[in-house]
Amino acid sequence: MNRRLFLKLLGMSSIFYQSLLRDLAAAEMPMVAVAEGKDFAGITVRALAMLGGMGRFVRPGATVVVKPNMGWDRSAEQGANTHPLVVRTVVDECLKAGAKRVKVFDRTCNDERRCYVNSGIGPALRGMKNVDVKYLEHERFRKVTLNGRVLKEWELYGEALSADVYINVPVAKHHGLTGLTLGMKNVMGIMGGNRGSIHKHIDVALADINAVFRPHLTIIDATRILTAHGPQGGDMRDVKVLNRVIASTDIVAADAYATTLFGMRPDEIAVTVTAHRRGLGEMDLKKINVVKV
Amino acid sequence: MKKFTSARITQLLFLALFLILFLMTEYRGSDRLGVAVNAFFRADPLASLSTLLAMKEWTPLLLPGFLLLLFTAILGRFFCGWICPLGTVLDLVTARIAKTAPIRRLKGNLKYWLLLPILTASLFNINLAGLLDPIAILVRALTFFIHPLLGETARSGWVGLYRLFGDRRDLLDPGYHILRDYILPYRETLYPLAFLSALIFIAIIWLERYESRNWCRNLCPLGTLLGLVARLSPFSRVPASLCSDCRSCAELCPSSFDREILNKEECILCMECQLRCPKQRAGFRLTGFKPAEGGAVMERRVFIGGLAGGFLLARLFRFRDPALQASILRPPGVRDEAEFLKKCVRCGECMKVCLRSALYPAFFQGGIEGLYTPLLIPRLGYCEYNCTLCGQVCPTGAIPDLPSRQKKLEVIGKAVFIKDHCIPFAKRMDCIVCEEHCPIPQKAIRSETVTMTDFSGAQVKVRVPYVVDELCNGCGICENVCPLEGKAGIEVFVVKDRRPLDEGAGDRASGVHDPYH
Repeated sequence: MNRRLFLKLLGMSSIFYQSLLRDLAAAEMPMVAVAEGKDFAGITVRALAMLGGMGRFVRPGATVVVKPNMGWDRSAEQGANTHPLVVRTVVDECLKAGAKRVKVFDRTCNDERRCYVNSGIGPALRGMKNVDVKYLEHERFRKVTLNGRVLKEWELYGEALSADVYINVPVAKHHGLTGLTLGMKNVMGIMGGNRGSIHKHIDVALADINAVFRPHLTIIDATRILTAHGPQGGDMRDVKVLNRVIASTDIVAADAYATTLFGMRPDEIAVTVTAHRRGLGEMDLKKINVVKV
Repeated sequence: MKKFTSARITQLLFLALFLILFLMTEYRGSDRLGVAVNAFFRADPLASLSTLLAMKEWTPLLLPGFLLLLFTAILGRFFCGWICPLGTVLDLVTARIAKTAPIRRLKGNLKYWLLLPILTASLFNINLAGLLDPIAILVRALTFFIHPLLGETARSGWVGLYRLFGDRRDLLDPGYHILRDYILPYRETLYPLAFLSALIFIAIIWLERYESRNWCRNLCPLGTLLGLVARLSPFSRVPASLCSDCRSCAELCPSSFDREILNKEECILCMECQLRCPKQRAGFRLTGFKPAEGGAVMERRVFIGGLAGGFLLARLFRFRDPALQASILRPPGVRDEAEFLKKCVRCGECMKVCLRSALYPAFFQGGIEGLYTPLLIPRLGYCEYNCTLCGQVCPTGAIPDLPSRQKKLEVIGKAVFIKDHCIPFAKRMDCIVCEEHCPIPQKAIRSETVTMTDFSGAQVKVRVPYVVDELCNGCGICENVCPLEGKAGIEVFVVKDRRPLDEGAGDRASGVHDPYH
């Protein structure tokens, strides 16, 4: 074949096999699965299926921590906590994949007893076998060396550190200081100590922790989002129903995509930008393979 | 305790009920408490009478107490021998305490010197009933001393097991969770006045070394009140005096037969004499009203002195330090301090039930007249936005039982930034943890982005918080979560005008600028 023919063929194939080429490149790009629908359990399962199903993460006999955001004494529809159906489905999928034990907890802001009940997550998981909905016990916090830019070390929760699989299940919502709170910030629920004090350099501090403690999977609940007066909300006029669940192994990519649901760009969220710069994930939407189902 | 008589069994049942109700006075996943230990206070005639005298108006909350008073007028002082949990505790321990001779000084009029001033002080708007009420003494000893001690001991043991066994301790979880969920206090709270509360309780037990039921017959103001009313009872014990050929009653009687004639006022109807009379003579018969043996209730000088004492008690201890006064935050729904002092019987239940351990007994912050009344100390615990437990358990309505929607609008105080401490002002750095936690849906704490020069001379953008007074209910979560150590950068101060917030104050139409709309 001469050079001319080769170039012709290459040009032709680039037209005909465009999709094939894109898929080839996409293999290098982080995938963000976005499922939409009114059946919250169903869309959670579908988003997971796009990533290869829960079996990809949870091996039989594994101990799994599912960490929702249930920090506030607010009801499910108020959008301050992860939707109980999403949490229940994630837990269910873990059990189906053969998890020996699934632990669900959060370091709450309001009284934990009220949060666990009123978020709907406690009641949704009640009676499930091999599932522990637990209050934190301070003796389980362990000092973890971070050697970050602002945090040299911090206490993180022992059961999160020792789990075989850690699944990060935040809710997407507004936050006064960071603009939005998504996957990266949900790690605060396993932080001990005076975590309010990290607010001085919150983007750097969150990158410091997420660089060391990396969830295996991030599932962002955007079934309904809180668009203002977050992270606690309470006013139903601030809640927007989107019927979406986002899943990715790349926490930054998941956050970046979720940001667009608020009509914002990922580069407007300092937490996302700092994490991306630290190499914790992709925030450029052009370099993220968003798969909608 | 010799044998299980019906009085004894009833006593034990009521003590068990009291303890169960005490443990149930705690959040267990439901917004409304089914039952709580306030049932005992609602039926407490001393609390009811003193509250009636202070309020000078009738409320249905007082009815059970007056019913008990009515039954006492018919039957006698049965409450003390059959129901009172403190009396039962004394009966349980007294056999193990060797007795010396009764103390002369406690005999006679001392009990009136305690009861009358309490009631008169109520008339002059200071409700002191709970200070010496036996049920309140027991609840406070349990709440501030015994229960926290139990909780802390169990918990430190549990933590110790973790240090030993690590995560293998999980095997014991189910057992510990039962203990944690049903027996132990949820939080380890240290209370001021724990020592005093324990001391009063222990002193009452210590008095048993002089004679049995020493507190009940010589001091207890509730017992004294019931005794006064019991004089009207148409039932009498026969024979009314010790029989010359036997005198066993003097030994059997725990409270009243310490002289020749039975003192009806002090008879607690335990029925020991009837059950154990060697000659089967003793019994309780309907004899109709007879003027009680033993003469007049009390001497005139005691009566007048008691009244004067109450008046002085209510008037002389009203000094309040203004600086301390500014931080006297009362539980939600208390709009007026004077009104509160009329109704609060200082029983300690609100402090027991408080979800976040935000309420603590006052020592001298509210003057001597405020002793043991509840104070909200935000740095230790805040008022949970959706919680209404303190109002539910208050036996006299001093803390009103409001629906959650109304309680959220009730003003405890107003938050104020202390700019010399608050991080964005003092350090020119971001923080706004307070705004994040503010539970008001439209946010009573908001922030604006301000360009400042930091201490290195660089231009920085900082989120600077401010309080919207129209929306702040003074719940104190901001002060509680402020990440500064020691003194917070925001504090809640009491305000005179505690009218509830306007429900629509957060709406755009209200004219309060909202940066998030």
